[in-house]
Amino acid sequence: MSLDTTESGSNHASGPSGRPARSENPSRRAERRAIVGLLSPFAILFLLFYIVPICYAFVRSFFVTTRKGAFGPAEDAWGGLSNYGQALKDPALIASVGRVLLFGFIQVPAMLVIALTFALLLDSRTARFKRFFRLTYFVPYAVPVVIGAIVWGFLFTPGLGPVADLIPIDFLGNTWVLWSIAIIVTWTYAGYNMLIMYSNLQAIDQDIYEAARIDGANAWQTALRIKIPLIRDSVILTGVFSIIGTLQLFAEPQVLRSISTSISSTYTPNLLAFTAASGNAYNYAAAVSFLLAMATAVLSFVFLRLTQRWENS
Amino acid sequence: MCEPSTGAVKLSFWSWVPGIDDAVDLWNAQHPKVLVELNTVPGGNQGTYQNLSNALKAGNEPDLAQIEYDTLPSFRLQQGLRDISHCLKTDTGDQFFDFAWKQVTFGNTGVYAIPQDTGPMAMFYRKDLFEKYGVEVPKTWAQFAAVAEAVHKQDPTVQITHFPQRDTGWFAGLASQNGARWAQIDGDKWLVNIDDAPTEEVAKYWQNLIDRGLVANMQGFSQQWNKALADGKLLTWVSAVWGNATLASNVPTTSGKWALAPMPTWKDGEHTAANWGGSSTAVLRGSDHPYEAAQFALWLNTDPDSLKLLNQNGGLYPATRAGLDLPFLKQPSQFYGGQHIFDVFAQAADNVDPDFIWSPTMTQTYASLADGFGAALGGDSTLSEALVGAQEDTITAMRLQALEVEPK
Repeated sequence: MSLDTTESGSNHASGPSGRPARSENPSRRAERRAIVGLLSPFAILFLLFYIVPICYAFVRSFFVTTRKGAFGPAEDAWGGLSNYGQALKDPALIASVGRVLLFGFIQVPAMLVIALTFALLLDSRTARFKRFFRLTYFVPYAVPVVIGAIVWGFLFTPGLGPVADLIPIDFLGNTWVLWSIAIIVTWTYAGYNMLIMYSNLQAIDQDIYEAARIDGANAWQTALRIKIPLIRDSVILTGVFSIIGTLQLFAEPQVLRSISTSISSTYTPNLLAFTAASGNAYNYAAAVSFLLAMATAVLSFVFLRLTQRWENS
Repeated sequence: MCEPSTGAVKLSFWSWVPGIDDAVDLWNAQHPKVLVELNTVPGGNQGTYQNLSNALKAGNEPDLAQIEYDTLPSFRLQQGLRDISHCLKTDTGDQFFDFAWKQVTFGNTGVYAIPQDTGPMAMFYRKDLFEKYGVEVPKTWAQFAAVAEAVHKQDPTVQITHFPQRDTGWFAGLASQNGARWAQIDGDKWLVNIDDAPTEEVAKYWQNLIDRGLVANMQGFSQQWNKALADGKLLTWVSAVWGNATLASNVPTTSGKWALAPMPTWKDGEHTAANWGGSSTAVLRGSDHPYEAAQFALWLNTDPDSLKLLNQNGGLYPATRAGLDLPFLKQPSQFYGGQHIFDVFAQAADNVDPDFIWSPTMTQTYASLADGFGAALGGDSTLSEALVGAQEDTITAMRLQALEVEPK
C-alpha cells in the first residue's frame, strides 16, 4: 500500500479531525512505526524471557506432583494454594527472609551513605582528578559478580588473604559471614549508585550554587541543604534498586559457599528456590519465586510511599 | 525389544571425564557405522544434572549421559533412564563389582546404566609427619581419634584431618562402612532412615572430634585446604581412589611424603571399606538407538584400551574386576613414595557394602546434610541434629515428589 493515494483515503477513512488520515498524516504513521520498530527488540525479548516465564512459573506454582510406585512416572495435578501454604510455613524460607531483611536494614543505608558521600566529594568544587576517581569508584561494578566474590573469598580466607590476617575476625564463620557478603555487595554497587547520584548532581543548574554562595552558604551547607534535597529522586531510585537487589541476593553467597561452612543451601530466598529446583521440586520452587517477586514489589512500593511522605513534608 | 538399527547411527553423549574424547575417538575409529558425538559438559552437580532434567522435560535429551550412582535414582524417577537389559547379554553384570552393578540394576528390576568407575576409599597419610610426631598408622577409628589427640597435643596448629561440610557423599561413605541403610524400597514404598544407629555412631564420633578441636573446619578442595595440606597442618585424608590425583595436583610440593593405608574400621581386624563417588554411563529415555548406545556404554567401560585411556586422562578407576588387573594399575606411584597404592584400593573395592542404596532425592538430602553440618561446625548444633534434619527434609522432599515414604 502506498501513502499518496489521496482518492482512496478521502471519502470514508477520515481521521478524528475530519481530514483524510492516510494522505495527510504520513509523518505520524512513520513515527508510530519507528516507535514499534525501535521498541520491538526489547519488547520481544522482554516478553519471551521475562513475561512468559513468569506466567509459566505462576501457573506451575498451583500444581503438585502425583505418582504411583517407588519409581512411578510423575503427573501434574491441580494443587490450589498448597505450594504457597507449604512455603509460608517452611522454617528455612522464613529464616532466609529474616536474614536478607537484616542484611538490607544495615547494608542498604550504609552503601547509600557511602555512595552519596563519594558523589558529593566528586561534585565538590575543590575535588581533583575527578575522572580518575569516578572511574575508580565505578570499576568494581564492571567486575563480574562471581569474579568479585571469588577474589573477596581469597581475601577473607585465613592464611591466604591479607584482610583475614590483619583483622582478627572469622570472616567466613557463622557470626560474620553475612557481613562479609555485605562488604562484597557494598564494594560492588556503591560506585554504581554513586554514578547515578553524581550524574543527577551534574544536571543541577550551576546558578543555584552561585546564589547559595552569594547568600553565604559554605560547601558543607550547600551539600546538605541544596544538593541532597535536589537529588532526592535518584537517592530514592538507588534505594529501590538496592532493596530489590537485597531480596534477590544469590551470586555472592553461592560463590562463598564453596569456601565457607556457614552458608546453607537455603541461606537466601533465591538460594532456597534454586535448591528446590535442583531437587526437581519445580512447582514448589515456582511458588517460592513468586512469593519472592511479590514481596519485592510490596517492599519497593512501601519504600516509595514512605519516601514520598518524606518528600511532601 | 532391543534391536540393532539398520544403517549408520549417530549417538550423542554428555560426559565430564577429562580426556574422555580420546576413548570416544578410539570407538569412532573402530566403529565407523556408530559414531558417537561427545559433548563435554560441566560436572553433574555443577549444572549438568539440571540441564539433563530440563532436556528430559523438553524431550531433546542426548542418547547417553554420565550420571553418578547417587543421582541415578533421581533420573530413574524422572523416567529418564532406559532399561537396556534386553540389549545386553544376561551375564553382563558378572564382570562388574557387585556394589557397582547393584547401583544400576535397582534390585534386579532392569539394567539402567553401565557402571563406569568407582571410588573405593582408603586413608592417605603423611608418612613423614607420622614419623615426626611418633604416631602409628591407625587401623581403627578409635586409634584414629587417639592419633588426632596426640598430634594436636604436640602442635596445636596441626590436626589429623578436616571435617568436610559439603562433601556429604564422603559422610555417606563413612556411614555405609558402618552398615547404614539410608534408603530401602519396600514394594511401592520408600523407607528412609538417614538417622539410623550406624550413621548416628559416625556422627557422634566426628562431633566428638569437632568439639575437641581435633579436626579442622574448612571446605575440602578449597585453597585453604590446599595450603593446610602443603604446610603439613593436616596429616590425613580419608578419601576415594580418585583422591590420589587430587593430592598430586593440589599439593605437588608434598610429593613422596604421602602413603596410603586402608581406611580405619570400627572393629579391630575387620576389613570394611566404603565407596565415595563413581559414575555410570546411562542410555536415556529418548534414544532412537538403544542397542548401539548400550554397546558403546559397555565398550567404553570394559574395553582394556578404553579403560586405559580413561584412567590415564581422567584418573578413572575401573568398575570391572578385570580392569584392576590392567598393567597401569599395578605400577608404583612416585607421589606416594613408590607405594603400589592401587593394591590398597583393590582390596577396598572388595569390601564395599553392596546393599547401601540411594534415595531418589539425594540432591535435597545432601543439601540438608551440608546445612546441618555447617551449623554443627559453627557450634550452633550437632551432627546428630543434622541427621535428624536431613531425615525430615528428605521425607518432605520425597512427599513433594508424591512418593510414598515412611521413616524407618
